[in-house]
Amino acid sequence: MKKLLSIVIVALFSLQAAVVVAADASKPKVYGKKGYVWDEMTPERTAVLKMGGDPVKGKESFRGCQGCHKADGAGVREGVYPRLTGQHASVLIKQITEIRAGIRLNPKMLPFVEDPAISMEEIGDIAAYLNTLTTVRENGKGAEDMSAKGKKLFNDNKCFTCHGKNGEGDAAKSYPMVSAQHFDYLVREMKWIKQGVRGNSNPDMVKAIAKFSQADLEAVADYLSRLPDYRTVTAAAPAAK
Amino acid sequence: MKDKNKHIGMHLGTLGVLLGMLLTSAAVQAEPVPLEERLLLCGGCHNPDGNSVIPENPKLSAMNAKYLQRQMEDFKAGKRTNPIMDSIIPMVDESEFKALAKYFSEQKRLVGAPAADPSAPAVADASAPAAAGAMSEQAKADLVAKGQQIYLEGVLATAAPACGGCHGEDGSGNDKFPRLNGQNQTYVVSQLANFKSGARTNDPKGVMRAVAKRLTEEEMAAVAEYIFTLKEAE
Repeated sequence: MKKLLSIVIVALFSLQAAVVVAADASKPKVYGKKGYVWDEMTPERTAVLKMGGDPVKGKESFRGCQGCHKADGAGVREGVYPRLTGQHASVLIKQITEIRAGIRLNPKMLPFVEDPAISMEEIGDIAAYLNTLTTVRENGKGAEDMSAKGKKLFNDNKCFTCHGKNGEGDAAKSYPMVSAQHFDYLVREMKWIKQGVRGNSNPDMVKAIAKFSQADLEAVADYLSRLPDYRTVTAAAPAAK
Repeated sequence: MKDKNKHIGMHLGTLGVLLGMLLTSAAVQAEPVPLEERLLLCGGCHNPDGNSVIPENPKLSAMNAKYLQRQMEDFKAGKRTNPIMDSIIPMVDESEFKALAKYFSEQKRLVGAPAADPSAPAVADASAPAAAGAMSEQAKADLVAKGQQIYLEGVLATAAPACGGCHGEDGSGNDKFPRLNGQNQTYVVSQLANFKSGARTNDPKGVMRAVAKRLTEEEMAAVAEYIFTLKEAE
């Protein structure tokens, strides 16, 4: 009888464990959680990249984003909303699809990009449109020029491996352009990546900035905020898509 | 007090029209209802030119026709509810929505409070006293300025998007985002509150509910005051 009871208990426990595993499988895996694979392609991201995007349609779809990111896509100087103007389409597609999938944790933006607030097709269109934009508005910079210190940190820690010598990023690898971005946005995101709360952090970047103090983060952010949009640097070469 | 009596009178007038329509609707169902007759029904609350003088009721003038038609369809289907509209909409056949929407979309939007004399033509005058009561001119100017800031910049602290992003900086809207300029304050506040509480759920994709949840009552009042004065770019 006792044996039977223990079998039943064991069976119940394993059933519960199975349920927990099943529930876990449906939850997105984020940085710091078991099973997180950085930059793992989601089916939606693959589909959007395959579809490509129509910047003309994207202009209309972007209307729903302008309340925060503004008509020129340059966000706000306070950095609450980043500058998206000219960002690589592949980067925008990665970030939007990962926010939708709950991999990048962004509760403020989620209601506006969640399915069906925008359709899968619109993601590609918006990304293509933003990539074509330019702005005349100046981005937010640090209160004082810390770019010499920032440049040294950027180079000593080989940040250029992914983000490029001029902060231009890498469209093919979905690494963002970080030049000409708002200072406060860069500080905030680096802090969230360092703390592991951004959700879709690259573990290599977490390691690279692990020893950065707040002052170091600010110096790097200030340096990047003072670099020009990559398109003005590489104007002779065709702009990356 | 005089204003209040006027409103009660209007409500009674509307009720009369309503009852009349109720009694006759069964008999005329087969015949297409002439637009003039329909304007008696809709115009009681929304004014025949769509520039409602009752603060609780929306101006329909110059609204996008597709948007107006979708609202009527939503009332018909019970996707949007309002005690008065719920009793009116069963009298109007779905086949009439398009023509009604077209008519109101073609009317000029008047901005500001209506003229005191209903027989005189309404004039656009943002400085005329509204139904807001005993607010001082200075207090109202401050409220409008605060509302303008929210309308154009949003609220950074709560990540509430700027209204102008979707509705247009001049509030002219389009088929997805309704025209806002000159809209009645009481109506705007009530809709924002309904989106926030979830009493109104026919905003496509829930976007407006997400926005309204990030606004306080004070912010709603300010932005409604600004919208009431907002004139479309010439």
